[in-house]
Amino acid sequence: MASNNNGKIIGLVLSIAISILLIAIFSAILGAKPISISSTIQPVNIDIAHLVRMSLIQAFLSTLFSVLAGILIAYSLNRLEFFGRKIIIAIFASAIIAPGLVIAIGLLAVWGREGIIANLAQILGLNWEFSIFGLKGILFAHIILNGAFAGTIFLARLDNIAIHKLKIAQSLNLSPLKRFMVLDWPTIKAALPHVSAIIFLLCFTSFPIVLLLGGGPANQTLEVAIYSAVRLDFNLKLAAQIALIQLIICIFIILPSLFSKQVNLRAGISRPYDWKENKYIRLFQFIILFLFFFAFILPIIAVLINLFSTEIFTILQKQNFWRATFTSLILGSLSAILTTLIAIFIVKAKIGIKNKYMGAIISLPLYAYLVVPAVVLSLGFYILSLHLRISSTIIAPFVLIIANSLLALPFAVSLLLPSLTAINLRYNKLSRSLNLSEFKRWHLVEWPLLGRDIGIILGLGFGFSLGDLGVISLFGTNEFMTLPWSMFLASGAYRTNESAIIGAIILLLIFSIFWFLPIIFRKWANAKS
Amino acid sequence: MLRIILIPLFLIFLPLSALAEQKPVLNIYTYDSFAAEWGAGPKIKQEFAKICDCEINFVTSPSSISALRKIQLEGEQTKADILLGIDSSIVGQAQNSGLFTKHGLDLSEINVPTNWSSKYFIPFDYGYFAFIYNREKLSKPPSSFAQLIDSDIKIIVQDGRSSTVGFGLILWIKSIYKEKAKQFWQKLSPKIVTMTKGWSESYNLFLKGEADMVLSYTTSPAYHLIVEQDNRFRAAQFSEGHYMQIEVAGIVKTSKNKQLARQFLRFLISKEAQQFIPTGNWMYPVAKIKLPEEFTKLYKPNKPLLLDEDLILQNGQIWIAEMLDGFK
Repeated sequence: MASNNNGKIIGLVLSIAISILLIAIFSAILGAKPISISSTIQPVNIDIAHLVRMSLIQAFLSTLFSVLAGILIAYSLNRLEFFGRKIIIAIFASAIIAPGLVIAIGLLAVWGREGIIANLAQILGLNWEFSIFGLKGILFAHIILNGAFAGTIFLARLDNIAIHKLKIAQSLNLSPLKRFMVLDWPTIKAALPHVSAIIFLLCFTSFPIVLLLGGGPANQTLEVAIYSAVRLDFNLKLAAQIALIQLIICIFIILPSLFSKQVNLRAGISRPYDWKENKYIRLFQFIILFLFFFAFILPIIAVLINLFSTEIFTILQKQNFWRATFTSLILGSLSAILTTLIAIFIVKAKIGIKNKYMGAIISLPLYAYLVVPAVVLSLGFYILSLHLRISSTIIAPFVLIIANSLLALPFAVSLLLPSLTAINLRYNKLSRSLNLSEFKRWHLVEWPLLGRDIGIILGLGFGFSLGDLGVISLFGTNEFMTLPWSMFLASGAYRTNESAIIGAIILLLIFSIFWFLPIIFRKWANAKS
Repeated sequence: MLRIILIPLFLIFLPLSALAEQKPVLNIYTYDSFAAEWGAGPKIKQEFAKICDCEINFVTSPSSISALRKIQLEGEQTKADILLGIDSSIVGQAQNSGLFTKHGLDLSEINVPTNWSSKYFIPFDYGYFAFIYNREKLSKPPSSFAQLIDSDIKIIVQDGRSSTVGFGLILWIKSIYKEKAKQFWQKLSPKIVTMTKGWSESYNLFLKGEADMVLSYTTSPAYHLIVEQDNRFRAAQFSEGHYMQIEVAGIVKTSKNKQLARQFLRFLISKEAQQFIPTGNWMYPVAKIKLPEEFTKLYKPNKPLLLDEDLILQNGQIWIAEMLDGFK
């Protein structure tokens, strides 16, 4: 019993530590000596209400359409069985770690003025006048990324509908609509609050996509205002205040979902049940899947195709490239490990605590951290390092590891919680009666069953870290170079091809690790048991 | 297990140990493309090392403004000896911060198209803002802002709140349209496809064909000419004149190596260092050196525009607000 408490306490301490870190970051910025750029400058009012309104509209529409797309995808994938179904599910599942900036660039290569679609239209002699910039561009990018994410989660739920229920439904000869309303909708509905809240947060704080595809100041989010307050006006107080407004809005959005039942955020090992529907409906399902799959995969292919550029050999010969790769891989691995460790302890604490308000309070800091803009995190960490009088070059790797692993944490926790809860329900009594220590219990019971989940979480942590550009910005020095940073550098010096190739390499690394780690870990965990 | 974690960490820090030499270290805060492998920084560093017994350490930020912010944040703790790369539009702010000391150098050697008299910052290169187009795709580029807003040409620019080039456009328009700048922005906004955070995103979008023109420098075509042997890119010549960007460097007040810093600045404007500016920073040098042949083919505006730095300091925020109003 005592040992069981240890895990709970570590989780609680970690959760409190994250809250303290957040408070420290904000108070460091708010407490920084005001550096006025001139005493006679007239302050210009920023229309924060307008920005909040724009961000809310954008995030609301993005969430609504992403969830709709997700339901349609899950519905179609659940009913259809075909060759390559598993691969498509795996590809959709990786949407969550695809770096926004790289995907936005891919979208342009497909939908841009001289993109694949425009070229195709020209060959066919069509008059194609579509601009991806503006609100529709932002929505489009968000729906593609988050629709795939939502689709895989809903699918896991549909695929887990008990077979006996399906058999009864079939014997009752339910119409396709009836079957959806009676069997599918309730299970999707249960996952809705959580999934929509996460998508809303991601869209509300979306930065690279909004900046690249937004089309100008008319479609900007709070993050942009924060960025400009830090950079141009150097009004740190204002930046922290806007960031706090963003934080409070997001907390109100995430709070209700924290009290609702937790939902497994992963694509399960799905087993389609043979449910005969008429051919028109099947055709509809195939068309939905076909359209969405190509909308999703084309931008990714457009990015990856750069790997076949001949210039790749020049890059592969560069020492700097290998140094950046090496640094990124190490940082990615360390933050992946850290994410996993923190996630395990926090989930154990959440399981151990029966009070649901306490449970919600433990996860709140995780989500709060997620919605603090990277520029504020970077600034806060930087000012803290000044207070502690530690050289920024020495602290930089630690900041990156901690910052990036915390970003992946909410997803890791949502993933691990249902699995560990299930294991706990099943084996808790047995483990206790055998008097297993916390470590033995992990080694003998939990680890063999969680192998695949741990692999996914590691992949998540790795992907978030490898795609990061935001937190590093104030710390970047020439001695300390990561892959995303060298991509950014190359594009800032006219070297667009080189930048595109590095972008492709980043995407390839993220995807392959995200796909192969779960497989490797499942095998490893199984081999031990 | 511990070893698995410690060894990689050690390897990350390994490059830093190189700094632990006995020679005096000159810390230069600058923007990253200056210090990047293909930038002018490493070559200038190498040349300077021949004449001084010192080590140069570039501390880079994503932009020159961030480098200045870093020094402001660090205050008395800063290790910076020199701030290199801020431009004329932000010099007013930097001088006002009181963090810099007079450079004490003779400015008569410096060759910029306008008078430069700052006692705190010395120019090391300059350029002109211009809209770049691909002559195979745009046969009739506009020859003025007035023509641009009457055309159906689509442009990409940078956000003046986050990009020095974007802020340059605000100043460019202000210096031409003065109190009518706000009305002009209203007419210009429908032409703008998107407004990016920084120069690199916008230039990428332009190269991918997302717009007819992009806001950049008159010297941008030189990159395509020299590195890619591509002569399709040109700068549109505007009859109202072109706004200038002058990049400067200054010595930080708290520096313990002021002598060395001064020596570096003197070297920075010498012919030995300036020879790396045209093809490293893709700007015009301030020393009278022989330019690469391709540079002589470029359009060089004869009507340079530049606003007073104090005026910018006082009104910069208001002008940004005018720009934003144009999009409402």
